[in-house]
Parts: sequence; C-alpha cells; structure tokens
Amino acid sequence: MSDQICPVHDTAIKLGEMIDSGQLKIPRNRWAAEEIQTLMIDIAWGNGGPEHMPAIDAKVRQLEAECTDDACRSVANFVASKLSQYREIFASHVDTHNCPSGDCVKLAPAPCQMSCPAGLDIPTYVTLIGMGRDAEAIDVIRRDCPFPWVCGLVCTRPCEFMCVRGRIDTPISIKVLKGFAAERAMSEGSYRNPSREPAKGKKVCIIGAGPAGLSAAYYLALKGYDVRVIEQYPVAGGMLLLGIPRYRLPREVIDREVQMLRELGVEFNFNTRFGSDTTWQQLKNEGFDAFFLAIGAHLSFQMNIPGEKDFPQVIEAVDFLRGVAMGDRQPPGKKVIVIGGGNVAIDAARSCLRLGSESVILAYRRTRAEMPADREEVEQAEEEGIRLEFLTIPHEIVGKDGRLQGLKCLRAQLVTIKGQDRKFPKAIAGSEFLMEADALISAIGEYVDAACLESVSGLDWGRRKTIHVDMVTMESNIEGVFCAGDAVTGPATVIEAIGGGKRAAESIHRYLSGIPQPKMPPVPTRRGRIDWLEVPASTKMTLKRPEMPLLNVDRRRTTFQQVELGYTENMVREEARRCLRCDICLRCGKCVEICRDKMGVDALQMGYFDFDHPVATDYRVTEERCILCGACATNCPTGAMKMEDRDDERVLSLCGTILNRKKLLYCESCGAVLGPARYLDFVRRRTESVAQVALPRNLCDLCARKSTAKFSADDTPVKRK
Amino acid sequence: MVFRRGQRVEIFRRSDDESWAGYMDAYVGLHGIITDPDNTINDPDALVEVSLEGKGTHRFPQDCIRLLED
Repeated sequence: MSDQICPVHDTAIKLGEMIDSGQLKIPRNRWAAEEIQTLMIDIAWGNGGPEHMPAIDAKVRQLEAECTDDACRSVANFVASKLSQYREIFASHVDTHNCPSGDCVKLAPAPCQMSCPAGLDIPTYVTLIGMGRDAEAIDVIRRDCPFPWVCGLVCTRPCEFMCVRGRIDTPISIKVLKGFAAERAMSEGSYRNPSREPAKGKKVCIIGAGPAGLSAAYYLALKGYDVRVIEQYPVAGGMLLLGIPRYRLPREVIDREVQMLRELGVEFNFNTRFGSDTTWQQLKNEGFDAFFLAIGAHLSFQMNIPGEKDFPQVIEAVDFLRGVAMGDRQPPGKKVIVIGGGNVAIDAARSCLRLGSESVILAYRRTRAEMPADREEVEQAEEEGIRLEFLTIPHEIVGKDGRLQGLKCLRAQLVTIKGQDRKFPKAIAGSEFLMEADALISAIGEYVDAACLESVSGLDWGRRKTIHVDMVTMESNIEGVFCAGDAVTGPATVIEAIGGGKRAAESIHRYLSGIPQPKMPPVPTRRGRIDWLEVPASTKMTLKRPEMPLLNVDRRRTTFQQVELGYTENMVREEARRCLRCDICLRCGKCVEICRDKMGVDALQMGYFDFDHPVATDYRVTEERCILCGACATNCPTGAMKMEDRDDERVLSLCGTILNRKKLLYCESCGAVLGPARYLDFVRRRTESVAQVALPRNLCDLCARKSTAKFSADDTPVKRK
Repeated sequence: MVFRRGQRVEIFRRSDDESWAGYMDAYVGLHGIITDPDNTINDPDALVEVSLEGKGTHRFPQDCIRLLED
C-alpha cells in the first residue's frame, strides 16, 4: 500500500472526521460539509468530472456564508485552505484520473505509464491491441504521442524498464506492440486524426521540425491554433530522419505520420534556416503570438587530436548520417574507422557497411560494459561484421598528400581516479599502434548549435550549453518563448522530445488563454478504464516474450532494408495477454497478507509486488492451495482480485488472470450454493473442535439445522398462545 | 560511477546543480531505474534519465544518484 499521502484523499478523510465529531451543530452546515466530502470522495475514486471542482467551491462558499459559530468556521477554513493549497492536485485528479501517490487506490497509475516521458496510457492500449482493436489503440496513443509508428520502431522504451512483468520474467514488448498497431491501422486506413477544435485566431511559430517541434505542432493544431514550422532542411523529422538510418526507421514511416500533421493544417517552411533565411525580428513582425524553439543538437564534439582538420576523409557522424539520409550513397571509404561507443557511432558504422565499405572498425576508449549504445544494436552490428576495438584511445590522425592513411591509437586501461567513483581510460605508455583507414568518422557526441539563436537576445543558456527553461512548463525566460527537445536536454531520446513538445503545447495554450501555468510536472492521463483480458494462470506464466525476427545478415550487410521484421499478428495478440494490468492492481499486497496471515492458506505467490526485492512469482501455485474463500477479493481495495460464481464454478481472478476455478457444490435439500468442496473441507476442519461434524451430506446451514432439529417451523406451525 | 541502463538507483540527496528544480525535492529518497544514461561521452557532468517509481521519468545530475545494486 502507498506510504504517501494524497491531499485529496486526506482532506476527504479529515473532513469526514470533523463531521463525525459532531462539531457541526446546525444540520444545514453538516449537510453542506457532507456534500463537500461526497464530491471529494468522487474525485478520489475517479468519478470526478468537470463540474466537481466548481460544485465544491460553491458549497464551500455556502458553508462560509452560513456559519454562525467557530466550530463551523474552522471546518470551512480547513476545506478552503486545502483547496487553495492543493487545487492543482485536485484538478489533476479530475483531469487525469491518476493519483501518482497511490493513496487514491482506484487512481494509482501503472508504473509503465508514469515512466513514459510522454505519459502514454500503456495498459489501455496494450489491452486494446490484445483485443485486436488496433485503431482504437492508436487513438489512445495519439492523445499523448502523435507518432506511434515512429516510437514503435525506435523508442528507448523506459516503460519496459519499469514494466512490472519484468520482475517475473521479461517486460512486455510494449514498443513492438505499438509499432504493429500503428502499421496495421495505417494499412487499413483507420489511422485518423481526431477532430480539430474551432480556430482560435492565434498563431504559433515553431523553429525545428524534429520530434519536439512536430509534437508541439500537432497538439497546438488540434487546439485550433495556426501553426507554422520553420525547418532548415528540406524534410520534416529532424534527427528522426537525418540521424536514424532507415534500416531502423524507414523514411516512409516518418512521412506518413508527418502527413497527418499536414492534414491538420500545419504549415511547413522547409529550407529555411532560422537566423539567416528568416530572422527573429521578421517572425516577430509577422505577429506570431508565441514561439517554440526546438532546434535540436546537431553539432559534433571535436576529438581535439592532431590531424583532425587536415583530411577531408575525416567526417562527423551526424553529417555523414544526414548525407546518407538525404540520398548520398557513396561509401566514405573502403576501410573505415568509427570513433565512439554510442548509438550514433553504431548507426554510422552499420551504414558504412551497407554502403559498401569493406571493413568497419568501431574504436572505443572503454570496454563493452561501458558502451552507452543499446545492447541489441551492438549485437546486431557485430553480427553484420563490424569489428569492435575496446580500450583504444585515438592519438593522431595520419595521412599523406591530403589522403588519410590511418589512425594512431594508444591502448588504454581503466583506472579509478582518487576521489571519484568512475573509471577513466588511461593510455598505456609505449602502446601506440596504427590502424589503417581511408575514412574516419567521429561520433563522440553532439551539442546544440547556439549560433542560430544568437538573435534571440536575452535567452537564458545553462552551463551545459543548453537552453534553460522551467522543466514543468518548458517556458524560457523570455515571455511567450517556449523550448524543448535536445536543445533543452542535450542529446536525449525521441520520446523525451515528444513529451517535451506536448508539455510545451499545453503551456503555450495556457499562456495564450490566460490560464495559470502548473507548478508541478504533469501527471499522465488515464485514457480509459478498459476491461482486462482473461487468461488462465498457466498461460500467463508460460507465455514468453517473442524474439524479434530479423532480416538475414547478407541483406543487412548490403541494403538499407528494415532489420527488425516485426512480430506476426499472433505474436502480438499473445504478447498483450502477458500484461499484468498494473493500472488496476496496485500491488499493495493486502491479498497476500490476508491469505497467508489471516487465513493461513498462503496460496498467493506474488513475488513481483516488491519493487526493490522481487522474489519468485508463480500464479499456478494458487490453484494448488487456494480454498476459494474470497478473503483476498473482499479485501482488495481496487477490485483487481475478483471472485465470482459462473455457471457451476467458483472463479478467482487477478486482473483477468484465472488463478483458481473449482466446481461448486449445492445443498442437497434446497439447492443453495455451498461453495467448492475444498472450501467446505477447510471450514469443517476449522470448526470441528467447536461443532459436531455434520453428516457426510452437503447441506446448507439452514437445511442442516432443519435436519437435526426436533421441530421445524415448516412442518410444525407455531401456535399462537 | 558510470550508470548503465536498467540499474536500480536511489535519489539520495538534492543537488546544487542548476538543473535541479524545486519540485525535485520531493523525489529525494525515491528509488528508480536508469532508463537513459549519459549516452554519448561518459561525462560525469551529464544529466541521466531516471524513471522513479510512481513519479515519472526525469533527468538528474549524477551527484544525487547512487546505485542500489550492481
């Protein structure tokens, strides 16, 4: 159970205690307080609507006006002060139907949703996908992320790291399910934009058509704003298109999702570099009501080694990948060295191979364990023939007559510097060696090109050379100017940029509508309360996360075809059934405690409930031990644990996972339900010391009494005296 | 410490770094998982992305994060 206190729940409880104490002597005051409490409980239990907060405010005003004694005034003041202090949280409960404290048990959000920087309602769309309702799933996703197909292919998936199923075996393959649903919906023509709000008559200028800019453009367009996006390159997508090779993210995927923005009326000005092709002053003169700066981080760090500037064959990874994305199909050289250990380095190396380079070596200063690149990407690169050289420090780039000949390197060892707990690569004296190459690609990191924003005078920059903003609202220090994406975070993830763009769009809307800005980061919104998928316990335990089918290695080495081929439909539907529906079960452990400590049965082996120290989980154990007493279901605060009689069976389930089902026995005399045999045995054993064991007949209490009583009202009518 | 994806960590203190926002004070003591480490240059000064249990995903300076396990 949550150890945090939610102000909504807490206020409702304390108000209830005040009412129960009898301090409100006048019935009219008491009724008003009770009505306020009822409205607050509605909010805490997820039944709050847009009319709840105004109704509470009206009732508080009524209470304040009608108070005639100090006791009543203290109640009115208590409620008014709580509303004033926590109004944002009250409103968030109504708007999002999520309570991140977990104190409002019905509103405890799923860890996957909370972990998503864009706040996608993952349990809802995964369940919809499991039901085969792909288009509805896409509608749910696009309320928080306009690019489900893109994210379905390249998201870094923080949700999967927090996925509770990962504490049992492996996380749900959330990313791939999303990608499947988007592709299917697009293919079927059911991938549609929601309707746009009426035009607001205000216009917003967005600088940069990367994921942050496009995300903001989408949500602002939906709100009814006129949106113009300024982009220096001739295509939309930013790093999605220019930085991620098409074997990971086909261009058509980006094009199709960007087209959805065009259909909403978003205007694009391509080949327009901010600061030179169009200026800050020109745009301000055009009368834009707000600006959103999302220029990304497109400049590469220098290696600062001799020879770096001397040879045209030494190129930066970002430039190289951009060239390839824009259609340059020439290999940079026959023997290529890529320097770096991140995803950009891996992307550059694998792209060289596909362009026809004969050998590609990736040189990295540390060891495999320190490589920041995704493990899957590294493995795929090695499968394709990329050679990894670890503990290799670039020392000097050498060549002759303007032609690169190789890279002098030093071997390194990792050492710990006194006072620091991270290991640093230290060159080993005399270990110099030459790696031959005719092209060298540097991929050691990117930073923001501040020069193009020089004209935005007064813009606050942080010491990391990123734009400094309020991370809750994405508002800069200049009124009406908002920023997000890599320009704010430094090189980060696609989903962070999308989430930042969405947050900025909401803040711009508030700014232009005169609505106060929030003080706390937004709470993700629960987009639905969808039924769970019913799955037998054995199936739930034995279903495994599918392996991703990959393109064969020969084709991967020679073409830019998509490497990950995607799951089959059957794989997708089955994978969705592994979801534990953590939006319903908050893993409070009450069921386990009751079963083990109160009933002495210990039939629930839910080791995954503990975040820090998960132990073994096996749903199948329940069927072996459970007596179907229903104590767990009765004490479940959210209704996740459910016991019900279906036909001639009693069924116990947790979020749709059938933990136990047993045949019901009926009273031999009257036909009343008695419960399963195991439950009756349990009761008999528990009561045999205090009550005579009944005859081996199955009788309900009433019929049992009748059968042993001397007289019964049925056959011996009571006579009036 | 070089943080890796998937490591369990604790926000064990507030940071004096400029990226520390006031609302983050409420996160001190919470546990989470590294979801995006410093993914380019292994810079001890870089912000790393942490998913906190029940509190969303945020970027933190590394001086306020410690590992809960290897």
